[in-house]
Amino acid sequence: MDEATARAIESDDFVAPDPIPESRKRLGRMVFAVGTVVLVVTALARLLQELGSFDFGFVTWRPVLYAYIFWGIALGWSQVLRRGEDGKRALFVLPAALFVVAMVVFPLLFAVYVSFTDWNLSALGGPKFNGLANLRRMTSDPFYWNAMLNMVWYILAIIVEYAIAFGMALILHSQIRARKFFRVVFLLPLMLSPVALSWMVGKSMMEIRFGPLANLARWLGWDNPAFFSEPWLARSSIMVMDAWTFIPLMMIILLAGLQSLPKEVMEAAKVDGATPWQTFWKITFPLMLPVSITAVIIRVIFKLKLADIIINVTSGGPGGATDSITSFIFRVYRDRSNVGYGTLLAVVYLVIIVAFLLALLNLLSRWMRGYDQEVS
Amino acid sequence: MKVHIYERLMAIQASRRGILKGAAGAGALTLGATSGLGALARHAVAQDNLRAEILKIPGVGMGSPTDADWQRVGEMCLGGTRETVEEGEFEGVQLTFMGLNNQNLHNFLFRGFLRPWEQYTGARIEWIDLAQADYNPRLQQSIATGTVDFDMLEMGAPFEGDTAGRGLLDEMPDWVKTLIDMDDYVDYLKEPVGTWDGKTYRISIDGDCHTLAFRTDYYGNEEFAQAWAEEGDGSPWESPTTWAQVNAHSRFLAGKTDPLTGLPAYGFLDPLKITWGGFGFYFLADRAAPYAKHPDDPAWLFDPETMKPRVNNPAFVRAIEEVMELVEAGAYPQDQLNADPNTTAFQQFLAGTGGMLTWWGDVGSNARTSDTSVVGDVVGFSTNPGADAVYNSQSGEWEQTANEAPNNAYIGWGIYVTNRVSDDEKKRKAAWSAAAHLGGKDLSLWTSAYPSGFQPYRKSHFNYDEWEAAGYDRDFIEDYLSSNRDSYNHPNAAIEPRIPGIFQYYSIAEDELAKIFSGQYGSVQEGADAIAEAWEGITDQIGRERQIELYKASLGM
Repeated sequence: MDEATARAIESDDFVAPDPIPESRKRLGRMVFAVGTVVLVVTALARLLQELGSFDFGFVTWRPVLYAYIFWGIALGWSQVLRRGEDGKRALFVLPAALFVVAMVVFPLLFAVYVSFTDWNLSALGGPKFNGLANLRRMTSDPFYWNAMLNMVWYILAIIVEYAIAFGMALILHSQIRARKFFRVVFLLPLMLSPVALSWMVGKSMMEIRFGPLANLARWLGWDNPAFFSEPWLARSSIMVMDAWTFIPLMMIILLAGLQSLPKEVMEAAKVDGATPWQTFWKITFPLMLPVSITAVIIRVIFKLKLADIIINVTSGGPGGATDSITSFIFRVYRDRSNVGYGTLLAVVYLVIIVAFLLALLNLLSRWMRGYDQEVS
Repeated sequence: MKVHIYERLMAIQASRRGILKGAAGAGALTLGATSGLGALARHAVAQDNLRAEILKIPGVGMGSPTDADWQRVGEMCLGGTRETVEEGEFEGVQLTFMGLNNQNLHNFLFRGFLRPWEQYTGARIEWIDLAQADYNPRLQQSIATGTVDFDMLEMGAPFEGDTAGRGLLDEMPDWVKTLIDMDDYVDYLKEPVGTWDGKTYRISIDGDCHTLAFRTDYYGNEEFAQAWAEEGDGSPWESPTTWAQVNAHSRFLAGKTDPLTGLPAYGFLDPLKITWGGFGFYFLADRAAPYAKHPDDPAWLFDPETMKPRVNNPAFVRAIEEVMELVEAGAYPQDQLNADPNTTAFQQFLAGTGGMLTWWGDVGSNARTSDTSVVGDVVGFSTNPGADAVYNSQSGEWEQTANEAPNNAYIGWGIYVTNRVSDDEKKRKAAWSAAAHLGGKDLSLWTSAYPSGFQPYRKSHFNYDEWEAAGYDRDFIEDYLSSNRDSYNHPNAAIEPRIPGIFQYYSIAEDELAKIFSGQYGSVQEGADAIAEAWEGITDQIGRERQIELYKASLGM
């Protein structure tokens, strides 16, 4: 803005913020500094006591939490003092941001620390730093790698689930009788808790002696309908139960995508004489790719957390055939109170999940670019 | 107060008065007694009457007891509380109780038993209900993170190392010891069980041992007897006394028809889905104990001087091999790889599948009183099978001699009070009063007779006349109770160590056993070695020296 223009603007055209006096800014800086000093000193004192260097009489870590809350208040106050209106705006975001830091970042950092410790709840000594020992143990732990291999199979099953979900979404998108009824019915499994599913289906309907599914299988000619006694069969049964719960989730996402597709394109395809298969493969499927990727990624995230059905129905058996990483960590942590090693497994799994999803997204975006070029 | 409850109470009181009058008259006539002796006689007769009355609730063969029954029993057994606590004395006291909710028992019963106690004393109890598999982690986390949030605790003796060893429990006051009559406990539940450094912490409410339950109709069946005479090893067709016989009978029964249900007959029911929060290991220990527990050696799980595991010694390997032998022979029911101990007891054996299994005493008390049992009239009991040879860990040699070692698995549940109440005398008295009510002598007779999750554990529980008067068949009850009593009193009983983290050892063993049972190891020895290696790791992690010290202490060494 040149000087002439600036002069041309009347001073009452907008409300200029009041200039913030230097003294107020100084006070703001001081408030923040006091809050920070209180937090750092409290945390340091608690840490030193934890390490056994000094005894300040702390019983718990709660004073550090109070110091953090005090620091948060000081931070907000200093923002208002130093930045005026901008600072007040920041107050809308700060509590949420500080809460996230407290509930996600701190625990994550603590988990990383715990994962490098030797900490068994039955040991009197509490956590002891043991460097990379837990990591080395993980690399040679057959139960962990067995569970990892199972996870690969579980993830691959998503391809089939996606195809089924897409098919169901197409059916529900078409003009069929009682469409609304089927939409609700197909969604019901998603509303069931996986634990309830485990008992209702895994432990009751598939029960070999009296389960209706076992009886049906027997009637169909299967002499020994033991759904969980052979490794592959047990794994497949778990996959089916998990799929039954979560296919509706994919289906509803895909159905929403189908409903938002432009009708003109479909009509143009019809006018041009495209067959139903051509319409699907050349138009619907490509247009649905972004939605499909979202659905698959969400499903992968859910699948990576698979544990409840396994814990309730097979406990990872037979012989670890159905174990997932999460159900294995559950046993290490819960049954064996091995907090250090269990946390390391969880942290490594988190890293693997993040890396896997990033790689998957990257791969898909490259593939989609190539697909777009091919289509155009 | 509701009318029907009032009427019931009036009926009970009238009955007691009548009995007391009679007792006083009898005492005066026969003894010309002093008033003291007369009072004793009155008390004894009233006591006997009370025990007989509570055993009629709801009555054997009258279906499973309900909450109303538990409350009624709790009310009738409130005498000890009335003697030691004034009405409303604990007004305003709030206690938190942590326990189990297995099979809708344990805490469910405690709630009913304690409701009249709450009404009388004015105290209130909050409940923390846990599934069996969640119990150990919940307890360990509370201890390790300093977040013990319960004043009273239902706990097994194996956890005493974790709790009493860390000073988390409150010492039992003397008045409680008198009130609950601790001398009545069977001997193996007396010191050192329930004590730590000479202080007593536990009110026993259960005595644990595994016993063999078997189908008498199998062993009384003419066709089976004839077929066994033709196909068997020449021994008589009788319930097995050794594990070798268990296996022989199981192989023989495979492919035959169950005389009760008409479905396929099976022999022994090993829970091959052994992963059960650590508790599944007990079922392998049943088989291993008579091979591994030498009468001259108190230790059988670890070497007491080094904590070197014995779980991969020839005795344990033989026990695992016996299971594998039945797996390979196809002698188990279909889908047995997915059968955990709850399945084998409640969905299989009590529901009419399988010829025998080892379990806690619940199978006996449920056989006749549970709505879901079909084997009440055809079930027999004995101590766990023995072995025809025992491994001597000192010499490293097998000794070809018959050996028995009943597995007193878990040493029973007890009620403990935590040190959260230690500084508040009113709350402390309330907690111990509630615990004493649950562990009372008369109430315990009822819990051992009806589905409760607990089995007999007092000498007075083995009075067969009381059970017979309650409606139990004399032969059945003698059979059932004597199997428990003989296990408790067996000179070579296998008693587990009360060392910290014992369930961690069991849990990792379960994972490896599941792999062995599903044939993932080249040999049983290889799998057993993997268990031993994992056990060594746990010992090192918890602290070898301390574990050795506590293990020796638990063995009385």
